[in-house]
Amino acid sequence: MATMPASASDLLKSFKLKTKQQELLIRVSILCLVYILAFITRLFSVLRYESMIHEFDPYFNYRTTLYLTENGFYDFWNWFDYESWYPLGRIVGGTLYPGLMVTAVLIYRILRFLRFAVHIREVCVLTAPFFASNTTLVAYFFGKEIWDSGAGLVAAILIAICPGYISRSVAGSYDNEGVAIFALLFTFYVFVKAVNTGSLAWSLASAFGYFYMVSAWGGYVFIINLIPLYVLVLLITGRYSMRLYVAYNCMYILGMLLAMQIRFVGFQHVQSGEHMAVMGVFFLMQVFYFLDWVKHMLSDTKLFQAFLRITVTCAVAVGGIALGLGMVSGYISPWTGRFYSLLDPTYAKDHIPIIASVSEHQPTAWSSFMFDFHILLFLFPAGLYFCFKRLSDATIFIVMYGLTSMYFAGVMVRLILVATPAVCLISAIAVSATVKNLTVLLRSKNKVVQTGSTKGSGGSKSSSKALLDQSQPFQKNGAIALLFGAFYLLSRYATHCTWVTSEAYSSPSIVLAARGAHGNRVIFDDYREAYFWLRQNTPQDAKVMSWWDYGYQITAMGNRTVIVDNNTWNNTHIATVGRAMSSYEDEAIEIIRSLDVDYVLVVFGGVTGYSSDDINKFLWMVRIGGGVFPVIKEPDYLVNGEYRVDKGAAPKMLNCLMYKLCYYRFGEMLTEYGKPPGYDRARGVEIGNKDVKLEHLEEAFTTSNWIVRIYRVKPPNNRCNIHGQSGTCNPQNLGVCLDLLGLVDVNLGNAPTKPCCSLIEGLVDLEGAVCLCTAVRANVLGIHINLSISLSLLLRNCERKVATEYICGP
Amino acid sequence: MADHFFTFSIITLSLFVVASSGGLESELVADLLTLQAESKSGVIHLDDRTVSKFLTSPRTPRPYSFLIFFDAANFHDKPELRLRELRREFEIVASSFITNHNSSNTKLFFGDIEFRESQSSFQLFGVNSLPHVRLVGPTAKSLKDDSDVMDQGDFSRLAESMAEFVQYRTKLTVGPIHRPPALSKMQLGLITALLLLCLPLVAKRIFAGETLLHDPKIWLSGAFFVYFFSVSGAMHNIIRKMPMFLVDRNNPNKLVFFYQGSGMQLGAEGFAVGFLYTVVGLLLAFVTHVLVYVKDATAKRLAMLFTLLVSFWAVKKVILLDNWKTGYGIHGFWPSSWN
Repeated sequence: MATMPASASDLLKSFKLKTKQQELLIRVSILCLVYILAFITRLFSVLRYESMIHEFDPYFNYRTTLYLTENGFYDFWNWFDYESWYPLGRIVGGTLYPGLMVTAVLIYRILRFLRFAVHIREVCVLTAPFFASNTTLVAYFFGKEIWDSGAGLVAAILIAICPGYISRSVAGSYDNEGVAIFALLFTFYVFVKAVNTGSLAWSLASAFGYFYMVSAWGGYVFIINLIPLYVLVLLITGRYSMRLYVAYNCMYILGMLLAMQIRFVGFQHVQSGEHMAVMGVFFLMQVFYFLDWVKHMLSDTKLFQAFLRITVTCAVAVGGIALGLGMVSGYISPWTGRFYSLLDPTYAKDHIPIIASVSEHQPTAWSSFMFDFHILLFLFPAGLYFCFKRLSDATIFIVMYGLTSMYFAGVMVRLILVATPAVCLISAIAVSATVKNLTVLLRSKNKVVQTGSTKGSGGSKSSSKALLDQSQPFQKNGAIALLFGAFYLLSRYATHCTWVTSEAYSSPSIVLAARGAHGNRVIFDDYREAYFWLRQNTPQDAKVMSWWDYGYQITAMGNRTVIVDNNTWNNTHIATVGRAMSSYEDEAIEIIRSLDVDYVLVVFGGVTGYSSDDINKFLWMVRIGGGVFPVIKEPDYLVNGEYRVDKGAAPKMLNCLMYKLCYYRFGEMLTEYGKPPGYDRARGVEIGNKDVKLEHLEEAFTTSNWIVRIYRVKPPNNRCNIHGQSGTCNPQNLGVCLDLLGLVDVNLGNAPTKPCCSLIEGLVDLEGAVCLCTAVRANVLGIHINLSISLSLLLRNCERKVATEYICGP
Repeated sequence: MADHFFTFSIITLSLFVVASSGGLESELVADLLTLQAESKSGVIHLDDRTVSKFLTSPRTPRPYSFLIFFDAANFHDKPELRLRELRREFEIVASSFITNHNSSNTKLFFGDIEFRESQSSFQLFGVNSLPHVRLVGPTAKSLKDDSDVMDQGDFSRLAESMAEFVQYRTKLTVGPIHRPPALSKMQLGLITALLLLCLPLVAKRIFAGETLLHDPKIWLSGAFFVYFFSVSGAMHNIIRKMPMFLVDRNNPNKLVFFYQGSGMQLGAEGFAVGFLYTVVGLLLAFVTHVLVYVKDATAKRLAMLFTLLVSFWAVKKVILLDNWKTGYGIHGFWPSSWN
């Protein structure tokens, strides 16, 4: 890679540059090209759609950034957001990682200062690609540190287009990960540099890199656990050195003090169980240093051995006791669920449905690895082997980083992102070593090529082995062929990456694209349509209830208050919404009223075939709701363990609020030629309940493709309403209802008659009583009861005022 | 015991019925309690004789409910039925129920029936598929039609959901589930003591630099294992409890090893692909660090050729499989005239 084609070198010679200078020039220009490539390959989404923010979380980040630019840092830090988590609100300053917003605003200010009239949104959209470019630079230096500059260059190229990283850093994906991967790699690089040199300056830099990482993303926990693990491995394998001591201690103490400045982290950094490893290793380091010193002072080995045994036992015992005491007294908080679910992957599935419900928290299948890494997967083991053959402090680090992050990537799809830099670096070692050896062979006129350790060749399916033998006449041809093979594979990688970026990772998910019947691109812009409708047609203080996925978008684009959003900090509140969605309308309306909701928003894909809609997410609402409120039971919504919405669906499913809201008026709709009306295209079935009647909610707005449907909560019925618009007496239904409940309950004055009340709702008090009488007289109840007492009790239960001695007429 | 029973029955509405035939029924209950005490987990083993004694012959309403697990020893080795696991969970529910009520609850008993020895009982209940759990309430006249079947959803979360089922149907609380700890306290103490004893020894060896940990080969194989484990999606199989393969629905003799559709995979499929990935890497290692030292040029060439062919085949296979599985057809973005 670091060598150049012949024609280029001829050209350069005419500039009268020395070989070293030529090499430098080429390296720098390659780096510049890679830098630009990393940026432009992430612009597909901007070119294809428009410059906008993607997905869900980025909308919150954008909203806070906007707030930061308008109100300044101190207001931002103290911001109490009453527009989300109604009625609880959210202390934004103390519950977010501000790194991303501050970075974007800083860039914005600098551009403004340089008299570039940009909008903050453009800055936000392009922040992630910009940092991705910077990551390539860091990857180059990192590769140079652990292997050589050739490996660095290859690493930069690989990471510039690796889909695993692109997935979270395309233009518009304004998310914490966008800057965090840069911070992560930077911290690691500087730390490795510090360990290699033992210099205080580099350790300081790594502390600040760590600080930036903490300010940007919760994934900093990975750094703070990997580094002590690395140090521990070095200690165990007898690689303790003064350089390590300086680097680690400086990084830990300063990094910790800096990290505690971020309010979201604060004292957790010394108190929570997740951060204990780093502290333990810190003390272990001191013990090591102390022992080293004693060894230096004591010349007697026997004495030292005895001393060693005592010290180590004491140190471990004291550490264990301290940890135990801390845990018991509550100073050290136990591990959080998210952390647990990484170590014991089945934990989240059984215990925390809210974590398990997120699609990016699903475990990774082999095809996802293939999709995100492509040939790097084949190169990775080869690179690992090379690293083991040339063990040094730096290669040990990259191997550990690679393996731990690979393991985590297997647990959760989204963590492929963290593994990407390591995979690129290790694969780069394999590629670079191979290509270098092959080219050396080609260039060497007739020198004897040395065998042995430097012979680290490999990569792709080639290996330059046969070429080693100088006496082979077709050695050079073989090398050329293998070189072509290697480049062919790499070009496949480039093709794959470009294709994946363009087709899979560049859709903004706020605007949906599909292929029409004739292969043309169809755009569904329903989300924005709905949010702008909310913004323009609802009162300023309207509260919107939806599943939490859409919370950030509603506040950011619709500018309306939401009940729950993507910051899933309060499980009970989310479960309440889940419960409302999975209850019957009568029960749901009470929850809805108690939350003071004005509008309910659902996302429905039955018309367009959009599959990540609320009906498909519904089981998670049931699970999360049922986790807090045991009245909600998952089996009630399933038929023989199967989830269905057609005629065979569970009765509870067919009548729950979510089903009604999604399929309201859908029974009349013809979605596909040759199919009956009410054919759900997302699930490919004809729906089971086509005659949906809503009582307490009314349709307010449905977008052009029915993807978003908004319902208004009707105000409570006016009890003095003489005209009684909605009230009709239906003695038959009322009778059945009362029969089901059993009048015993009425006699005892229990509450469960409430559902029956809806049947006489809208009737004037007296009419209600008459209606009841008709039901009783028709003898639909089939029981003889003390009419006067039961009636008045029932009416009182329904909050109707009739004279207690009311008696049915003849 | 009879005291308990009577206080209980006075509260319930079945007072009159009990009063008439109280003697006989209290005898039955006493028998059941003895049987329950004899069994280790509190699950009463029923056969045709006892079924008729406790369930068919007594007049309804009986003073107790029966939760019955239908077992078949000859199906224990079929993993897809999960009989052993469910049976174990059932026993946990039973023993938890009994402990939580101090073995004095006479309203609910747990039983199991084995297929081989009590085939007529199976017919009586109309059971023709397993796993099958049935609750016979006090008022059930016909065992087949009046009893409640526990459906799939109630097995799903094992003991916890079975307990919910019981609670829901019988209005009796099971209370907290007591699972036996993985290690008894005694074992735990022993292990800790052993660890503490070994600690100084281990520490000494570490300082001396002569443990297995100092051997890079161990680390290397560990590293390869972690790699293989991750990329084969083994974690996915563990979390989702995916089977190794499925049986083809249309043709029961055919096994399905590869599942079409991204985001899902079968066990064998993951391992096969993980193996292909690893093989390429290992061959490379072999070629670059072992083959070099082979003296014989022909052997070297042959090995080289073999490696190349195998690697080529593996890479091609994986790419093909991936394209088939995910349905993505990858193409470059060069000018359309080039195609």
